[in-house]
Amino acid sequence: MNWLKQLFSRRRLYGDLSAEIQAHLEEKMEELVGNGMSRKEAESAARREFGNVTLMKEESHNVWRWSFIENLLSDVRYGLRILFGNPGFSIVAILTIALGIGANTAIFSVVYAALIRPLPYSQPGRLITLTEVRPQEGQAAGANSQSWVSAYPDYLDWTRQGKSFQALAGFSGDGFVLHGAGEPEPIFAAQATVNFFSTLGVRPFLGRDFAAGEDIAAGPKVAILSYGSWIRRFGGDLHILGRSIQLDDKSVSIIGVLPRAFEFAPRGNAEIWVPLHIEKDLVTRRSLRWMPVIGRLAETSTQGQAQAEMNSITANLAAAYPQENGAIRVVLVPLRDRIVGQVQPLLLILFGAVGFVLLIACANVMSLFLVRTAGRRREFNIRAALGASRGRLISQLLAESLILAAAGGLLGLILAEWGTSLLIAAIPDTLLAFAPFLRDAHTNLAVLAFLCVAVIFTGIAFGLAPALQISRGQEGEALKEETRASAGGVRTRLRGVLVVAEIAFSLVLLIGSGLMVKSLTALLSRDPGFDAKNLLAFAVNLPPTSYPKDPDAIRFDKEFTERLRALPGIAGAASNSVVPLTGNGASIRFVIEGQPVAKGHENECNIRDVSNNYFSVMKIPLRAGRLFDDFTDSSTAPQHVIVNEAWAKQYLHGQDPIGKRIKFTYSPKENYREIVGIVGNTADAGLDSPEEPSLFLPFSQDTNSFINYVVRTGSNPESAVGEVRASLHAVDPQLVLIQPFTMDQIIAQSPSVFLRRYPSYLIGSFAALALILAMIGLYGLVSYSVSQRTRELGIRIALGAQQKDVMHLVLGEGARLTLLGVIFGLLAALGLTQLMRSLLFGVSALDPVTFASVAVVLALVAVVACCIPARRAMRTDPAAALRYE
Amino acid sequence: MKTDEQRDLFPGALEMMILRTLKRQPLHGYALAQHIKRTSHDLLQIEEGSLYPALQRLLKEELVKAEWATSSTNRRVRIYKVTAAGTKHLEREVSRFKRMLEGITRVLARGES
Repeated sequence: MNWLKQLFSRRRLYGDLSAEIQAHLEEKMEELVGNGMSRKEAESAARREFGNVTLMKEESHNVWRWSFIENLLSDVRYGLRILFGNPGFSIVAILTIALGIGANTAIFSVVYAALIRPLPYSQPGRLITLTEVRPQEGQAAGANSQSWVSAYPDYLDWTRQGKSFQALAGFSGDGFVLHGAGEPEPIFAAQATVNFFSTLGVRPFLGRDFAAGEDIAAGPKVAILSYGSWIRRFGGDLHILGRSIQLDDKSVSIIGVLPRAFEFAPRGNAEIWVPLHIEKDLVTRRSLRWMPVIGRLAETSTQGQAQAEMNSITANLAAAYPQENGAIRVVLVPLRDRIVGQVQPLLLILFGAVGFVLLIACANVMSLFLVRTAGRRREFNIRAALGASRGRLISQLLAESLILAAAGGLLGLILAEWGTSLLIAAIPDTLLAFAPFLRDAHTNLAVLAFLCVAVIFTGIAFGLAPALQISRGQEGEALKEETRASAGGVRTRLRGVLVVAEIAFSLVLLIGSGLMVKSLTALLSRDPGFDAKNLLAFAVNLPPTSYPKDPDAIRFDKEFTERLRALPGIAGAASNSVVPLTGNGASIRFVIEGQPVAKGHENECNIRDVSNNYFSVMKIPLRAGRLFDDFTDSSTAPQHVIVNEAWAKQYLHGQDPIGKRIKFTYSPKENYREIVGIVGNTADAGLDSPEEPSLFLPFSQDTNSFINYVVRTGSNPESAVGEVRASLHAVDPQLVLIQPFTMDQIIAQSPSVFLRRYPSYLIGSFAALALILAMIGLYGLVSYSVSQRTRELGIRIALGAQQKDVMHLVLGEGARLTLLGVIFGLLAALGLTQLMRSLLFGVSALDPVTFASVAVVLALVAVVACCIPARRAMRTDPAAALRYE
Repeated sequence: MKTDEQRDLFPGALEMMILRTLKRQPLHGYALAQHIKRTSHDLLQIEEGSLYPALQRLLKEELVKAEWATSSTNRRVRIYKVTAAGTKHLEREVSRFKRMLEGITRVLARGES
């Protein structure tokens, strides 16, 4: 407790010390006077020999205190006083920093939730996804990194033979109409192998996991609820276990509830998880690749070892099943990459862009700081003369800048909270469902830590240079009046550098946002190959108990579409197995008559089952041949196909497809089918996707129980939903209208549009902010320099300079800075826009039009910013200017 | 004020000299300063004031203690005495210093030959 005693006895200690030093000086003086010196001489000699009394006292005091903290406290106290004494400066600085730090913290919250925070599974780094690819898929799903499928029998072989994985689990999407929890309602679900949750290392929060043997084709019999649906649909009932609900026409018992923190992005919209319940074909056919597989690496193995092992298993399977597996490759991708892979480049680009905003904000505040410290030069010189060390002066200024940064950070935190929720709200729900981790973006310890680092960085960034500069004052000059001529030199040069940097950074951001906006425009104006206006899409699922056979579905389709067509506002209704632009859909292997291929190496392309009027309702043009019709393409008629132009181009290399015959290879029972028509290409996977080769079969010959309808309306398709639903219920009251969306909504919510619209808005706002800050910086510097040069300008005018000469002089200075900034900005943009190439569409990363027009716009704005001080300079009154000093 | 030709003492040197001086005889600040100056024949130019921070450090470490007393010139002064801990500290420091000096001397001697 010694330090405590010292703390309280300090006052006495200091008193003793003062008295002692006083006695020392007196004794010395007495001695000197005794030696014959005058009293005055003796006093100054005594002081000279003693040294700086104040400094010695200060140093002696320092022995007794925690000098670092106490100096800091006194710096902070003094800093606060100074900053309160100059509220205009402080408010501008704090607001600028708050904007910079707030924007950065908001983006960081999202970056943290998506990219840094580990996935909520046990040892998530050991989770690897497995996918089967076939090079013959061509442009279709296979070449696309998003593809994640395998055949169920292959999965079973991997599980049996693989040693590098502790466990392998599969899952798939699912959907039901839920009865027994309010109104019957279609819900998203997921089905999974029974070891799915244990592979992830997740245990239900209530109840139990799936058990072996529960994955039966006739199922599901049990279900596990997501936490959200347990709360929302079942009121968080703790006695939910064992309760029966009805999914479609099956009674299912709830056996568990998933933990609140559980999320699984690939099936992020699933409210209910059930064991895999798949039919015979999906279980047995190796050529049907449909199940995404996740493996947990064994403790002792690496991804490389696992890949090697999978390669050898795949080779064995290819030898054993040449027809199905001849061309199959297995690709391993960490689960994390698959989940955040698509948003990662977007987020990193946004993070980089917002970092620029912070740098510009720092530059601006630093510029303000430089001017202000210049005005306080005398204060610092006096402190230096009184014995303040260079370190103390620097720490004083740093304390002031850190106070400003901290205040800005605090305000920024509020902005960030608000900004983060805005960032998340701007994401369409349908996409957010598949990025559940983003819902977790909010202020947490990591975000606070980032904020602190940003505050310290900012404070030092704009405080250090002025501090170093002011403390470099020579002692000789200490108490002299500031001389006007030289004082501003270095500082103005540094401010010039800052303004050039600000202009360069904002130019980069402006070009980035220009490229994004151009991409978005190009994307939205891309012709998807069909008329997307006034189109309503929805799905109907026909339960097998009421519609057991194909003719039942055909009968339903006929009756339903006839009813729809009879509605006054509806021009046509058609169906397809896939909604265009949604990226879903199946592919099929085929051979063309007369073009033999090695067993197992057939080509593979998209396959769509369409109603006969699909192309006319969608306004997809027929290029040659004929469309399907009700008479020649009935369910019992000979089998025909229609191809699109991309198909003809890729597989027939310009030959006329009409009359050519193709055969599917999944079953030896398949016969050749004649190509009867060619239609235009459509964008299937999204507006930014290439045009993929596709085959079309008539719905009547390849019937599904899950049917996607498109309805062409006369006016706003959204208003037709009610009538459409009524028609559906008139045909069969137990059926539910699933996901009714207009095509415009589908486009607006599609990842391809989101990936351009989101950064367009964000980088656009950052760029606007950056431009404003940079122009304030430029304006401030030019104004300052005009005020510094009042006398020079006065002399020039007195000597006969015209107003326009003065104008040129001032504008020239601004123009020089702007030009330098634009040149550096263009050079930086040349490199930096390359980083955003993956987000661009229909525009080159070096698009000369964007580069040039943005540079011109920035230059014009800069001229306007300089005009205001230039006008002031023009009006300089030479007499007043010369009298000034 | 220091000029370039005067070197700073190494850290702890002043404390060592103070302890040695006080070991011989308890003194007050002024007398202590005069004594060190005289004994060192003014070779070490020490600002008298710099004794006080050093004395405060020694006080804080409890290597010396101070008492108010009346000096021969009838002035109220603080007399500093070395404590037992101070004595021990001095011995340790002196022997460390001698070793260091010997090391430096050897290197310098080798350099000359």
